[in-house]
Amino acid sequence: MDIVLAAAADAFTWQALLAIVVGTWAGIIIGGLPGLGSVVGLTIFLPFTFGMDVITSMALLIGVYCGSVYGGSITAILINTPGTPQAAATTFDGYPMTQQGRVGEALGWATFASFFGGVLSCVMLIVGAPQLAKFAVNFGSIEVFALVCLAMLCIVGVSRGSTLKGILCGMMGFLFSMVGSDPITGADRFTFGQYALSSGLTLIPVVVGAFALSEIFVRFASRDDEAARIPEARLTFPGLRDIGRRMVELLRGSFIGGFIGALPGTGAAAAAFISYASAQKLSPRRQHLGKGEPDGLIASESSNNAVTGSSFIPTLALGIPGDVVTAMMMGAMVIHGITPGVRLMADQAQTVYALFVVLIIVNVAMLILSKPSIGLFRYLFKLPQGFVMGGIVMFSFIGAVSVRGNPLDLIVAAVTGLLAYVLRRGGYPLAPLVIGMVLGPELESSLRRGLLISRGDFSAFFTHSTIASVLFVLIALFIAGTLWSGFSQWRKDRAAAGTPAA
Amino acid sequence: MSALRHSLVAAALVGITQSAAADNLDFVVPFAAGGATDIVARSFEPIFSEQLGVTSVIRNVAGASATVGTAEVAKSEGNPNIIGYEPAGALSIQPSLKDLPYGPESFTYVCRTVSNPMFLMVSKDSDIDSIDQLIEESREYPFLYGSSGPGTLPHLAMAALTVKSDLQAQHVPYSGSGPAMNALAGNEIQIMADTETILENYDLKPLAVFAEQRVEGYEDVPTFKELGMQDLEFSVWQGVVAPKGISQERADAFADACRATVESDRFKTFADKSGVSIDYLGPEDFKDFVARRVEVNQQVLKDAGLTE
Amino acid sequence: MTSTLLHPRIVTAFALLLVGAGLSITAWQGPDDAMLVPRFVLTIWCATALMVLIGELIRRAPVAKAQRSPLPLLMAAVLIAAIATASLGFLIPALPLVALTLWLFRVRQPLWLVLGTLILGGGLWFLFHHVLLIRLPTLLASGLI
Repeated sequence: MDIVLAAAADAFTWQALLAIVVGTWAGIIIGGLPGLGSVVGLTIFLPFTFGMDVITSMALLIGVYCGSVYGGSITAILINTPGTPQAAATTFDGYPMTQQGRVGEALGWATFASFFGGVLSCVMLIVGAPQLAKFAVNFGSIEVFALVCLAMLCIVGVSRGSTLKGILCGMMGFLFSMVGSDPITGADRFTFGQYALSSGLTLIPVVVGAFALSEIFVRFASRDDEAARIPEARLTFPGLRDIGRRMVELLRGSFIGGFIGALPGTGAAAAAFISYASAQKLSPRRQHLGKGEPDGLIASESSNNAVTGSSFIPTLALGIPGDVVTAMMMGAMVIHGITPGVRLMADQAQTVYALFVVLIIVNVAMLILSKPSIGLFRYLFKLPQGFVMGGIVMFSFIGAVSVRGNPLDLIVAAVTGLLAYVLRRGGYPLAPLVIGMVLGPELESSLRRGLLISRGDFSAFFTHSTIASVLFVLIALFIAGTLWSGFSQWRKDRAAAGTPAA
Repeated sequence: MSALRHSLVAAALVGITQSAAADNLDFVVPFAAGGATDIVARSFEPIFSEQLGVTSVIRNVAGASATVGTAEVAKSEGNPNIIGYEPAGALSIQPSLKDLPYGPESFTYVCRTVSNPMFLMVSKDSDIDSIDQLIEESREYPFLYGSSGPGTLPHLAMAALTVKSDLQAQHVPYSGSGPAMNALAGNEIQIMADTETILENYDLKPLAVFAEQRVEGYEDVPTFKELGMQDLEFSVWQGVVAPKGISQERADAFADACRATVESDRFKTFADKSGVSIDYLGPEDFKDFVARRVEVNQQVLKDAGLTE
Repeated sequence: MTSTLLHPRIVTAFALLLVGAGLSITAWQGPDDAMLVPRFVLTIWCATALMVLIGELIRRAPVAKAQRSPLPLLMAAVLIAAIATASLGFLIPALPLVALTLWLFRVRQPLWLVLGTLILGGGLWFLFHHVLLIRLPTLLASGLI
């Protein structure tokens, strides 16, 4: 007990609290600006942490991280442009709600679901980190392959309009992720002899092009249209009864996010898509999903914020960073002489507990700071549309080029922007493009590694372990279910039309 | 006390007044911010620029196994205001593997800063206690060894070992040391070659060290030479390079500043805390060292069938 | 007939099919192990693109009236600025791009146009490049601009 109190005392110093407020607030703003995401935010703040003590610097970085994951939802809801890739699934129901004039409700649910997911994942981290980490170790390449296959199937769910076009876009995103070095042999692929392409395409520039830049082009046509103006941002928190009614959704989203976060190498964007796909199968209001249903928002926002806490599970329990962001946190710990690893929990218990306390305060700070942050965006979006669009262009450019300091990424963003505009005009859904790009690399490398491990025998995948078998059965059920519902829908349509579609 | 406020204000002021100065030094780190090499570079950079008497700015140029950032330095031929903090792979392996816009002769070598020998290790629960036993058991059922990616040092060291001994093992690359450790913990792979940091953090069992002499603190871990296997020395090192074509004065100034930096107490304290071993080599020695490593690695790549 | 075949949706689907086929050739010529997954992906790509194309041909969506709009100008500007950044640095291509965006989105008063360009283009660049020290591409070796 003493150690917990001492840890709390470490976290409740004024420096740490100030760092949390500054970090969280800056994180929300940075996350909300299209183009700038968690990585850029952390890169900005990392140098400041060198002169701080370890708790303060962790507080600052955790604040930026959690804030940015939440902040991405604000622009996703207001202007259909996810501020960060993690919030791509938030646009599905967030933006339709905005179009129906339910901005306040949408932002309120996004904020509350983010807070709920964040806190629940802290609880998971505190209560079950060692057990979850041990369980996550069972996810070898073959199990990960099965899991990612299952996740890939959510392309079908989020391709509103045309499933075929969705699959096509998913494959396009998958192919984008393959440009550059092959993860297994190191051979260059699809570089056409251009050295610049050998570093491959990264997610942020593609997301910036596909969402932010293409949104500018789409809005261009209606620039003189009063009805197309960005509505005023407000925040109305859901009532207790509403929360109670949707508690199952909140819990499901948070647990999915919490679990995905504990597996190294998946991340918040994947968690949000998987959670959304499961809401499409399980929510009692699933027929409204995609048309402005809070359940969709909850699925996306509770799960992506739940990743923030649980991504520390592999980091703290095993010293294995869950994603690029926790890898950065690990770096910051090393500077302060704390080496993450299997003995961290035992050797540095006080620091680890202080970290838990910080995570919880950050989530509370996020809830409190949501109001002023949304207020700021309200003022920004009140500016004449030209300034807003000019700002989005600038932030998109800065975000795309600063991910890894490569000017090629800017060209990638611009070309993707043009391509995405053409695709949107043609009725192609763009979310599958992001899904393909997020999940593609993991799918490919886990398959190839699995083949190396099973000495080239793919049929061995199905019986490799209980987890793998269960996941493959789920995949089979999902495909069968989708085909069946598609078939019965087609029969219904045919019966309704009287004649087959010509 | 008010470290946060001070550093925020100071950084803003320093940024505005100094980053616009004409003789700014670009300090290229070929990895994304926050990685293992970036952390060492960020601890090295302020002391280095203080010694040199200039202001410097870190530029993270990541991608393609650190070759994009390295190429950025190489293409600035004759520019005295850019240096790169380079990992071993980008200087001594990648040029032999791929068609790159630079080669070992594209740089003015400044110094090697740190170097950590690699260990051959297995999981602590493993019942294998020696190299001989490992080789013996691999004959019955070949092992799998992990690496942090194709063409990285952990890959090369193991590839060299399989060529020079009777060890039967196949390579499974991961996207970094972390995921590889996860696989080792789950017994997906059985062997990994990496540095002392990994060994300590993940509590593994070392079987042998890829170095000429036994390593301090691991006196009971034999070297490969003692085990009768020649030319198996691999270490993970980092160094500073400038583009070629800069003046001799500038090169000397860089070298002096680098030497003073690695000898400074601040850098030593950092190295102790973060588990990297300072191992300084001056410009000439460093240049010869890289040339030798390129040769050795080329041979390994060829023997292991990774290049023609 | 030719005018319906030139419908944008049909052209898009056809172009996607062509690109998929072109990339497939690269994939089948490449090494077997590295190209294993790309071949799968491209096969699905080509199959779905073909089905989408057939679907578009059957459906024959009504042709939207072509409107004259300066949108291609904005698109070209974005692309040119992105390409120019590699050689001219970040600031110089960004300024005209921001000015053009403001102008096209109806910010036409000279004062606001100049002020907006300077604050959004120059100000944000200065903030990131010189204050936050997130280095953006530069024209001069010293990193000044």
